[in-house]
Amino acid sequence: MPIVHNGAVTSCVFFAVSGNSYSAGTFISSTVGVPALTHSFCKQNNPAVQTMDPSEVEFLAEKEMVKIIPNFSLDKIYLIGGDLGPFNPGLPVDVPVWLALNLKQRQKCRIVPPEWMDVEKLEEIRELERKEDAFTPVPSPYYMELTKLLLNHASDNIPKADEIRTLVKDIWDTRIAKLRLSADSFISQQEAHAKLDNLTLMEINTTRTFLLDSLNCMYKLRSNLQPGSNKGKALDY
Amino acid sequence: MDSQAYLPVPPGVGMEENFFSLDDILLSHERLSCRTECAFPRLGFLEKSGDTRDIAEGTKMELPLWLAKGLYERKRRVVSVEVPKVYREGWRTVFSADPTVVDLQKMGPYYYGLGSQMLHFDSPENPDVAQSLLQTFIGRFRRTMDSSQNAYNEDTSVLVERLDCLERALFRSGQSGLNGFQSWEKGRASHLTASTLVLNYRKRKMADTQP
Repeated sequence: MPIVHNGAVTSCVFFAVSGNSYSAGTFISSTVGVPALTHSFCKQNNPAVQTMDPSEVEFLAEKEMVKIIPNFSLDKIYLIGGDLGPFNPGLPVDVPVWLALNLKQRQKCRIVPPEWMDVEKLEEIRELERKEDAFTPVPSPYYMELTKLLLNHASDNIPKADEIRTLVKDIWDTRIAKLRLSADSFISQQEAHAKLDNLTLMEINTTRTFLLDSLNCMYKLRSNLQPGSNKGKALDY
Repeated sequence: MDSQAYLPVPPGVGMEENFFSLDDILLSHERLSCRTECAFPRLGFLEKSGDTRDIAEGTKMELPLWLAKGLYERKRRVVSVEVPKVYREGWRTVFSADPTVVDLQKMGPYYYGLGSQMLHFDSPENPDVAQSLLQTFIGRFRRTMDSSQNAYNEDTSVLVERLDCLERALFRSGQSGLNGFQSWEKGRASHLTASTLVLNYRKRKMADTQP
């Protein structure tokens, strides 16, 4: 399956300009797909709440830095988002995930999994998450997206990939169950505001439409209680 | 993923209606039993049950919500509107006991919408009705949420069967969140799909345009 490479445009622009030992041609031909924006534009379906698509969240996650060990050498490269490199064979270097995956797909590097992507650490986090009532801090704001991206494209570089996948899914499920529980108590106690500490974008994103729509309904039903208070506040269409 | 080529206007839910909302238009056709408080001369032809020339004072008739709202005035009593029995004391007790067992689709299907609209008509029960609507919504929220966020790739008709129209809309938005996430997780989100606008687009044929 070809991965949609969100960073494709940036890298193409750079290599076309710099005329490096890597010709622009190789980069353009190897970057498959179109930036994610074009297709999520077609998917905006709810006018009341413009939701974010999970692939857009993934797009943001691809800006996270990850360590790679390249097997080629290249001078420092200058991109709009910052300078990367220099790349030396065998020397670890920090690059954004989109570039890491691109290089990995062309077998130009080995990805060093992030520190937290480790069975013991994740087990610890899972236990803590199950014990605590509130949300515990996650190792990375994009833990779910990064796990999926890295495990799908570089599972040979990550030891015990299957276990990690299960653990992260466990953590995710625990947190989603908690989120649902707190949403319910939020509604039933008719609270006006809540603090969403330690929630990640992907978690908020899956429940956003539903929660906002319900809160809207509840607000309107509640303003029925004081007749005359919501006059003139109706939305214009 | 369900995507539509147009942007539907959501229902107003509260006392205000949204003019362009299809749900609110359907809601305005709900029938209310009313009693005339003055005689309507020469309008007897509207009342199919009798063949008098006038509609006498005190006639009971069913009027759609939009007409009842138009005729109703606080100062000059033209019609009086009876609160439908779902919103009366007896049913309110049922709702306060356990809101989840009631089949709102059968009772409504615009239970919340109509209930809020009833507040336009003066009645001593109004505060209780409003309170009962809110409590019912809160009581049923958990069920709507759980069923919408857990039912992936299965037949949802049983789950939504007993939901009010408003809750169905919520159910759909919950499902869209779940489906979006699941299709991303399965890697289906990275496939490009054509917009429904493009799929539904029909090029005008020469034959259609010529008279």
